[in-house]
Amino acid sequence: MSEVENSNTVDLQSQLLPLELIEKCIGSRIWIAMKNDKEFVGTLLGFDAYVNIFLKDVTEYEYTPEGLKTVKLDNILLNGNHVCLLVPGGEGPKVKA
Amino acid sequence: MTTSNTSNNSNAQFNFFKMCIGRPVVVKLNNGVEYRGILEVVDGNMNIVMEQTEEYLNGQLKTKYGDCFLRGNNVLYISAQPRK
Repeated sequence: MSEVENSNTVDLQSQLLPLELIEKCIGSRIWIAMKNDKEFVGTLLGFDAYVNIFLKDVTEYEYTPEGLKTVKLDNILLNGNHVCLLVPGGEGPKVKA
Repeated sequence: MTTSNTSNNSNAQFNFFKMCIGRPVVVKLNNGVEYRGILEVVDGNMNIVMEQTEEYLNGQLKTKYGDCFLRGNNVLYISAQPRK
């Protein structure tokens, strides 16, 4: 019984919190999907408790009735309000040629 | 640990604001409207004051404003060219 409890506490200590995972991604590429039909791919520079996100070398993907629209941006500070999903190392939607 | 890192990141946010002030920026709102102008002031809520502001809708210039204030809740992102 005590062994089980011990292993549980070890598990809890070694457990990685969601934001700690994102913290480990600082400096690498990340793919961000928003609540609306927008996605961003860029190099993660930092973020805060609201998951406002700093990115550099960013590509913005927007799904419109006319198709996928892409915009290139340098440095951006992305408002965390509409962030839905973060994918470490993600390369974004595959653009069909 | 986490709090210290968060404060570091807040510093990064502060540095980004400092880097951008007085420089041309692009601010995109949630409704898709884009504002290009000289960033004057920005705060933690992303409230923004800009000068020489141009309003773009679907990439087309619609209006110009001398001074303008944007309430932070509408802001999708603030984009700036890195200092050369």
